[in-house]
Amino acid sequence: MATKRKPKSRARVGTTTVVTMRLYVAGRAPNSVKAIANLEAICSQYLQDGYKLEIVDVCEHPRRALDDGVLVTPSLTKLSPTPGANVIGNLSDTSSVLAALGLSPALSA
Amino acid sequence: MNLATPRNDRPPYPDQGEAAFKDWLRRLVTGTEELRAFDAGEIDAVMDHASESALMLPEARSAQLGTSNIALSALDALPGEVCVIDQDGTVILANKAWRAFVAQPGAGLRVREGGNFLVACRNAPESECAHAEGLAVSLRQVLSGAKAALRRQYAYRDIEGSHACTLTIAALPGKGAVHAVVTRERTGKRNPPIPRGLVRSGRSRMATVAPTSISNHLLVALLPAQYARLTKGAETVALNYGDVLYEPGEQMHHVYFPDNSLVSLLTLVEGHRALEVGLVGREGMIGARLAFGASTSSVRALVQGTGTALKIKSTHFLREFHRNPNLQRVLLHFMDGLMIQVSQTAACNRFHIVESRLARWLLMTAERMASGSFHLTQAFLADMLGVRRVGVTTAASALQRRKLIRYRRGDITILDQHGLEAASCSCYQYVRVMGLTTTQ
Repeated sequence: MATKRKPKSRARVGTTTVVTMRLYVAGRAPNSVKAIANLEAICSQYLQDGYKLEIVDVCEHPRRALDDGVLVTPSLTKLSPTPGANVIGNLSDTSSVLAALGLSPALSA
Repeated sequence: MNLATPRNDRPPYPDQGEAAFKDWLRRLVTGTEELRAFDAGEIDAVMDHASESALMLPEARSAQLGTSNIALSALDALPGEVCVIDQDGTVILANKAWRAFVAQPGAGLRVREGGNFLVACRNAPESECAHAEGLAVSLRQVLSGAKAALRRQYAYRDIEGSHACTLTIAALPGKGAVHAVVTRERTGKRNPPIPRGLVRSGRSRMATVAPTSISNHLLVALLPAQYARLTKGAETVALNYGDVLYEPGEQMHHVYFPDNSLVSLLTLVEGHRALEVGLVGREGMIGARLAFGASTSSVRALVQGTGTALKIKSTHFLREFHRNPNLQRVLLHFMDGLMIQVSQTAACNRFHIVESRLARWLLMTAERMASGSFHLTQAFLADMLGVRRVGVTTAASALQRRKLIRYRRGDITILDQHGLEAASCSCYQYVRVMGLTTTQ
């Protein structure tokens, strides 16, 4: 599974920079399912249209994860804008995800 | 799917004990953050360069195998669209038919695996929000263990026309949290004729929705011919949480007869936050002041319960009001009840403690919405009760400790109606007894 999810089409003001991310998951394992749900919730609240997310299933594509230097899953990698960042785990800690993505909670208003 | 096990030359093997295998996996992990997540149980798999594969942790493997073999095959074999939801509303599993359904763009709550059903209901388009709200209530009832199974009709519209389906939500009680299985059956594509008079207003920001059976008490009290005359040219609109129907001093161009929606009447005092002085649901109407000769609103009318209402032009309403004694009678009766409610609320706000007022307010809301579950933020409740947020937190925590309500991230469920009535101040019973009750 290497699916690309498009952002929702709701037009919202706020962000202009598109954040590109890649989330490595392990099939439908519990933490992976949670990570997808948590990340989608964060994206819809804080990024609205301004993100691109690729989900890579390491069970299907282990080579990609190894080539990208991923050691454990779930693992989120922010690819752009620079600087890049990684968040490990099921992404339940919203503040650390926001910090890695270079966002501040105040943007949600 | 490539679920690898460690190579034979790299002990220990999974069958030598989960703890030993997990310990061995941990030794493959480097990095502070990776180790933290591993120890916190947030990791599903560790990448192994030697075998060029993902090594699943024992708990992730068993969860995966538990859902992937017979159960998933059986679900996939079903012709209908089926998904499983965890206690938070996240879709954790879906069969082939459901995945095919959500892969197509369009309306109708297409929630993918990993997505949250309750959030999708909350974000449903305006034209679907009345159905989505009802569905969310049912889901919460099943996930809370209050109901074993519920069926809901869901209608939506896309470029191909109108569609209708039935969603069956059944509880899957387990050792821990309750899960639910949702089955979606299409009940056909339909293109209902547009009822006479139900037209979309180009200026309205509220969507026109299909008419439902009327439950507004004022409208129910009318004779069929009177009802037909009054509702000629009316439209059924969806009122959404947070919509403002009137501001103080604003011309009331339309009146609203709530069906399953709920509207707060707020008074504004300079230098203070808005304070709720009245609550109107299906027992009344918004804009009744027109009948007394006024043309502007004296309060802010704020929607606090999403649902539908019948929207009628003020001029048409007034014409009917003057010629229809039956409408005059029921309207005066409602206004009398509203006066009692407003005056009692004023006294209540002055004399009673926040906990009792919160209990009263929750009971009144539940009664008018005909539902024991609703979504309200603490900031909103603070505005309604005229207190600071910390006051609401303390009062809600006290009611929760007494197991009268459950309050979680703004989702309120009344667990014990009688207990909550006992905890509420006397104003609740007084207003009921004195006339303004939705059960009449």
